[in-house]
Amino acid sequence: MSQLEFAHVTKKYGDFEALSAFTLSVQKGELISIVGPSGCGKTTALRIAAGFEKFDAGRLIVNGNNIELVPPQKRNMGMVFQSYSLFPHLTVAENIGFGLTIRKTEKKKRASVVSDMLDLVRLVDVGHRYPHQLSGGQQQRVALARALAIEPTVLLLDEPLNALDAKVRIEVREEIRSLQKRIGTTTLFVTHDQEEALTISDRVCVMSNGVIQQVGTPREVYDNPSTAFVATFIGETNSMVIGGKEVLVRPEHTRVVNDAEPDSYRGIVQSFSFAGPLQTVVVRMSVDGSLVRATMTNTGGVNWTIGQEIGVVFDCLVPLK
Amino acid sequence: MGGPVGSRASTTSGRWSPSLVLPLLPYFTFVGLFLLVPTVVLFTKAFRPVTGSTTSAMVEAMNASNRSSFMFSLKISFFSAILGAIVGFLFALAVSRIERPRRLRNIVTGFSGVAANLGGIPLAFAFIASLGAQGLFTRVLYHNGIDLYGAGFKIYDFWGIVVVYLYFQIPLMLLVMLPAIDGLRPTWREAAINIGASSSQYWRRVGLPILTPSLLGGTLLLFANAFSAYATAYALSSGGSRLVPVQIRFYLQGNTITGKGNLGYALAAWMVVILLFVMTGYLLLRRRAERWRAA
Amino acid sequence: MNRRRTTWEWPVIIVVGAFFIIPMLAMTRFAMQRVPMSLLGRETIFSRWTIRGLMNTISDDKFQPAFFMSVRLGIVTVLLVLALLLPTVLWLHLRAMRWKILAEIVSLLAYVVPPIALVVGVSGAYRDTVPWIVSSNYGLVPLYAILCFPFAYRTLDVGFAALDLHTLVNASRSLGASWQQTFRKVLIPNLRTAILTTSFLAFAVVIGEFAISSLLLKRTLPTYMLEAQGREPQGAMGVALLLLVLTTVLFMALGRIQKKSPTSSSQEIRITP
Repeated sequence: MSQLEFAHVTKKYGDFEALSAFTLSVQKGELISIVGPSGCGKTTALRIAAGFEKFDAGRLIVNGNNIELVPPQKRNMGMVFQSYSLFPHLTVAENIGFGLTIRKTEKKKRASVVSDMLDLVRLVDVGHRYPHQLSGGQQQRVALARALAIEPTVLLLDEPLNALDAKVRIEVREEIRSLQKRIGTTTLFVTHDQEEALTISDRVCVMSNGVIQQVGTPREVYDNPSTAFVATFIGETNSMVIGGKEVLVRPEHTRVVNDAEPDSYRGIVQSFSFAGPLQTVVVRMSVDGSLVRATMTNTGGVNWTIGQEIGVVFDCLVPLK
Repeated sequence: MGGPVGSRASTTSGRWSPSLVLPLLPYFTFVGLFLLVPTVVLFTKAFRPVTGSTTSAMVEAMNASNRSSFMFSLKISFFSAILGAIVGFLFALAVSRIERPRRLRNIVTGFSGVAANLGGIPLAFAFIASLGAQGLFTRVLYHNGIDLYGAGFKIYDFWGIVVVYLYFQIPLMLLVMLPAIDGLRPTWREAAINIGASSSQYWRRVGLPILTPSLLGGTLLLFANAFSAYATAYALSSGGSRLVPVQIRFYLQGNTITGKGNLGYALAAWMVVILLFVMTGYLLLRRRAERWRAA
Repeated sequence: MNRRRTTWEWPVIIVVGAFFIIPMLAMTRFAMQRVPMSLLGRETIFSRWTIRGLMNTISDDKFQPAFFMSVRLGIVTVLLVLALLLPTVLWLHLRAMRWKILAEIVSLLAYVVPPIALVVGVSGAYRDTVPWIVSSNYGLVPLYAILCFPFAYRTLDVGFAALDLHTLVNASRSLGASWQQTFRKVLIPNLRTAILTTSFLAFAVVIGEFAISSLLLKRTLPTYMLEAQGREPQGAMGVALLLLVLTTVLFMALGRIQKKSPTSSSQEIRITP
């Protein structure tokens, strides 16, 4: 059942189209990521949903109602920002309970919700502290709790992991996912990191220059990219010109072999790196001079040397549409 | 926000190690010589009795007859601080929200820097020219039926001085509040609105509370500023004002005649005591404001 | 939420602006118009404007010594303040972070001890032992420097804090630069805005300072202006106006320099203690 629906939403800044006929239907209880490079329009879409931006054409529908004219305060969509969104003059508990304070929730109920939220994000004894006393990861967890405390119709996440260190990033993203599954909140997650999108989402929406490139499950988007952009943006891709046509193939479907096998293409090893379970070889193909990356599991004993002539086998070649 | 991680030297060799403290000596010695020593001397003299009495001048300075000038100064400082703070804050808020013309902010800040720091003489002149007995504005009001001086207004009396002091109080408050207002992150506003707050609820629960340390600190600064002001009052009243700084001068200049020199010292010493409390409050509030801004 | 609706902002700015501009206009009229107030009306508003009063005062033989004295005092004070505070704040940020809070408190003491109390104390303490302090004009300089410390320390403190000091110094030293070279070629250029702000502000404070110079019976520009007011009121007013205008232009120039600086963040460097 569709909970949030963008129907041909277009947003222009002067002549520049930040969003072109953006159409996306977010199902109840799913976590869908909008992923793309900077400036692709993903944050614009999110802010339109929240009510911070108006749009020029199309419709925005929540649970069957057109919410275009509903002010952001009344949309009941909890949002988590990139950073610095916690109120510095309030304690963690007061921050989390802020939405309830505004809604004039009775004190006891508010305290119980806040305590539940603190449990949920595993920050139980931290309620009395102030934001500046917390680490970045802790702050984002509090921000998440604050957004969830109001039982939002849709949870909006605006690149929430951007400002965090690499290791903390992974912890917090897993926490977001497990929380979301547990509570079942419909979630819209915006990020430029395709690995993030693939690991935690039910569905992924890939965008570029204001236009949706593909929407599908992580596996669909990875195994069956529908445009060259999706193929290169999601995961790594080798691209070559064979027989006059441009073809794409993933490094894990590329193998380097010593002897000339049938269906192998000749090439020269450019570089070789051994990383334990995986090894990577970069080859310059004789057929069109392009560089191709082969990622193979370590089958034991084989070392490739630079300048060596070898054969490259592709397990599945995808011609570009 | 700490600073660069670089205190390794101080932690290993100890806080009081000579190599650490030596380069700081010129600064501290300078302040010691030209500020602390004079203050100590001042207090020493202030505790001596006034000629012809046995009680210390410090106590005598606070008796019923001498207290009035103190109360006068405190009242003026208080009123000009509160008024200056309110108007200055609103002015700063207005300037921060105006986006065009873009030069406006630079002009306002530049002029405020001058008005707040240039000192009282040009200021006093400006007000004599506008609100003095022969002032331009006085004349304009007269033509429109308002006789200021006929009603007993004098530019060196209470309300006259308050109005004149506003000329440097408002700009000073602007200079304090502009950075504080800039420090209100847009994400705070968006987060508040997103979670259900209206614009006025945002101001009441988030914006104003966060600005409060700066507002209070700024008011204290304005108070200290008015309390110590000398030049303006002196120039407006030709040296005969009831304000404490001018009174101190009166006592000290004629001290061989009146024998009340120590009373002058005592009044000055009391000023220092009051300002010590005010500036301590200011410093604490400023640090609180910074902590929130960095969070 | 894109375009801001401004409703009350411009009225407030205009009213407050009027409060500030009207006295300046009154000063201008007083200084430059030879029409007595009682005769001033719609018909006479544009008659008899002259800068003769101002010129008289500037050529007055007491003006120039007072003016140049103030300028000299200003320059020397700026140099003293920078010479004292730059190395101190550098050292505090580089090695002696723990002393910062004390240094900051100390810098604010000038606000605790008002000029009159300071003069009284200095006079009492040093009049007999170091008479130069009260007799020489340049004895004013240390007192002026103390007066400047609150905002000077703060400005430089903020300026240093904006740099990644340790990285810059380590990078410079590792490339072979001596301490002096590092200071001159790496630190000072990056602190240009803070240094200029401190200097302009200190200069403005000194050139307008009245209390200390008057109490110590010195002849500086402000004491001159007050005294000239009795003799040549129009000229004195003209000089005061000129001073206000020139300093405002100076500060506006400072504002533009602050904006263009690569090291200043979006905030203007505050010029308050």
